Amino acid sequence: MTKVQFRILYREFLFRMVDLEALSAHAQGDASTLLGQFVALLLIFSLWVLLPIAFAAGGDARLSPPTRLIDGWPAQNILIATNMLVVGLFAVASWDSSFPNRRDVLVLSPLPVRARTLFLAKVAASATALSLAVIAPNGLPSLAWTLATSTANRGLLDLIFSSGIYRSFAAYWLTMIAAGGFIFGSLLCVQGLAAQFLPRRQFLRASGFLQLAAFCLLVTIYFSQPSLANPAALVAAQHQRVLAWLPSYWFLGMLQQLNGSMHPAVAPLARRAWLALAIVGSGTAATYALSYLRMLRKIVEEPDIVPGSRRRGSWLPIFGTAFETAIAQFSLRSLFRSRQHRLILAFYLGIAFAITALFLKTPVAQRQIISKLPGVWRQVSAPMLTSSIVLMIAWVVGTRIVFSMPVELRANWIFRIIPTGGAPACLEARRKAFIVMAVAPAWIIWAAIFVRIWPWKPAIGHLLILGLLGLSLAELCLRGVQKIPFACSYLPGRSSFHITFWMSILLLVMLIDYVASFEQRALESVPQFLLIPAILLPAGLVVRWQNTNTAQSQGDAVCFEAEPPPAVMTLGLGRDGALTLDS
Amino acid sequence: MLELRNVTKRFRGITAVDNVSFIARAGEITGYLGPNGSGKSTTMKMTTSLIEMTSGAILFDGDPIQRDLMAYKQRMGYVPEEPHLYSHLTGLEYLVMVGQLRGLPAKRTAERIDGLLRLLVLHGDRHVPISSYSKGMRQKVLLIAALLHNPDLLLLDEPFSGLDVTTGLVLRSLIQDLAARGKVFLFSSHELETVERVCSRVVILHRGRIVADDSIDRLRVLMALPTLESIFSQLAVEQDTAAISRQIVDLVVA
Repeated sequence: MTKVQFRILYREFLFRMVDLEALSAHAQGDASTLLGQFVALLLIFSLWVLLPIAFAAGGDARLSPPTRLIDGWPAQNILIATNMLVVGLFAVASWDSSFPNRRDVLVLSPLPVRARTLFLAKVAASATALSLAVIAPNGLPSLAWTLATSTANRGLLDLIFSSGIYRSFAAYWLTMIAAGGFIFGSLLCVQGLAAQFLPRRQFLRASGFLQLAAFCLLVTIYFSQPSLANPAALVAAQHQRVLAWLPSYWFLGMLQQLNGSMHPAVAPLARRAWLALAIVGSGTAATYALSYLRMLRKIVEEPDIVPGSRRRGSWLPIFGTAFETAIAQFSLRSLFRSRQHRLILAFYLGIAFAITALFLKTPVAQRQIISKLPGVWRQVSAPMLTSSIVLMIAWVVGTRIVFSMPVELRANWIFRIIPTGGAPACLEARRKAFIVMAVAPAWIIWAAIFVRIWPWKPAIGHLLILGLLGLSLAELCLRGVQKIPFACSYLPGRSSFHITFWMSILLLVMLIDYVASFEQRALESVPQFLLIPAILLPAGLVVRWQNTNTAQSQGDAVCFEAEPPPAVMTLGLGRDGALTLDS
Repeated sequence: MLELRNVTKRFRGITAVDNVSFIARAGEITGYLGPNGSGKSTTMKMTTSLIEMTSGAILFDGDPIQRDLMAYKQRMGYVPEEPHLYSHLTGLEYLVMVGQLRGLPAKRTAERIDGLLRLLVLHGDRHVPISSYSKGMRQKVLLIAALLHNPDLLLLDEPFSGLDVTTGLVLRSLIQDLAARGKVFLFSSHELETVERVCSRVVILHRGRIVADDSIDRLRVLMALPTLESIFSQLAVEQDTAAISRQIVDLVVA
């Protein structure tokens, strides 16, 4: 009985990692499709990013063994930090599924299911999901790292019969599991503590902020941590305070210890890793178990709602016609109040922040802006131009993504039964929403920065270009069938867009860097400068004209249900005028 | 006047609504009854244009609704069977959004919303998110949203669901008062007692087909049965309910 219950609950909790409500009816609630896509995404990431790093983590084969091991430290640290980032992001994404919700309790409480079975099923589902997040990206890199650290001056047979290779392999996996478990456990521990000490209503409110804070912290630490993976830097007194806050270095120490290549410089870090793991492990187990048992009672006693106030609601301005205002205000409120959507947008902004941080850390940028010369920030620099363009692109693209994901799909009947003015009105409303939620905030942030730090001429010039770029991008995002933001179904399978986005992001950044360098020169010469708006403005207008025409041809058709691509593609032979399909 | 002419709806070969024809006149309250799965909600959804019919025609005031769907939607109010609302919005925000979507004048709509919220005892909770509303409170929001634009046609699918006794009585009187002012009502419910008190005539659906379409009084006389419940049982209930009950007891107790 208990085993059957456990199995059923385990499966239910595992697939709960995906929000079925958001899926299109065509997906028929197939959560495994999304889980499969998640694994595929991790594998692609592993193949393109982690695998080359894993080979580099073996160190330069031409060096002597002790020097070679140290040579591989920076790459090893990147592998560990990236693993922690992936697991951390996964924990953030599945934040709400770690604990039982009201529906679980209300459905399961009347049934003869013990709290222990519920708890164990939840732990097992979380452990499976964690394993997936660790194994998928580390499978190939683990082999690459093991081979890279063991192949020097050895034949194949020597390699197979050498115990070192197995030790390296085991050390890699143990370290990655420990590092992943540490970050996953830390986040669970924070949630558990909040659940313990806060009333349920306050916990629900705080939980959303904690989730966003955890996301920002993970991304910030990953991209802004200093490179200290060499013996001198690790033992330097001035770095000890920083190292105390960088867990990836602790697990670098653990890797060396488990691999049998312990260097005196990393020994304290390894001790810290073990200590941290013990604290987080016991803390998580205690708070998770306690909060689980106490939460079950709390959930029933206290309503599971976002705390509301009886005061006047949030005021929002008018955005054009009544319909446009309704859509823009609905979009703003949906984004502000939906944790899932906020998080997805934050993810895109975090990537923009990371790229910006990387750009500002490049030697070229250091020479250009991180100079000790007074007032150098007041000079126009390509990295600053790049950063502003990257943020604008990420904000617009992120907004496009969150617009396509529904909030309470079944509530969209209200948009269907009301005369909305069809596709042209919907296009105009979406355009307003894009401007209000993506183009304007990004532009205002950079306007505040540039007007303050740069001379007014280049500042105004760049803001003009940034605004045109944002508006043109928004127009590009409006192409296709017209959908009301947050009100239409999301069809799994479209995530190929995400893969394309990540695959092309490196090329895109290089292109943006080139464009920014050109703009930097253009800001000093009026004819050259005029060339940029002369390209951007007509391009934006053409896309806008196309969008308007397409919307007018669509008439009353506003799409609420995403359609999958047809299984059989027609060749469209009827369009040549010689043959009509209707005849 | 709302008229359905030979309306049929098929889902992957299964006929949910089969050649349904009836007229709901202005000033009348037409009850639309049937067991679960008989096609009531499907008909309602076709009449709201939420789903398309396979064949037939739906006419409002003599014109097919598809001819000018936007104009038809302006004149139609709908209370769906399930109270699906955007629960991240407050009750007031939701109603203001509905008013904006319908293009109603802002000031007049605000006054109307305020008045309706007060009358339905929801004013104190207007700034509270709908996520914390009870089923009855959600139902009140749906009712206000349906009445906001003073529609000529009201499609009510289980409108009494979750309402407390007082609001139920208010709604019953409200439906009769609005019908007296010439509104067209199509009213679907499983509460036969309420239907008997509110509706002037009923359309009874069984397995997607109409099995009765007349005034309740005339049906009583024609079928020589005292109540709507007995008429409904005669026309639309195929099973021996007492026998089923006995079988359930046997299964559970055994």
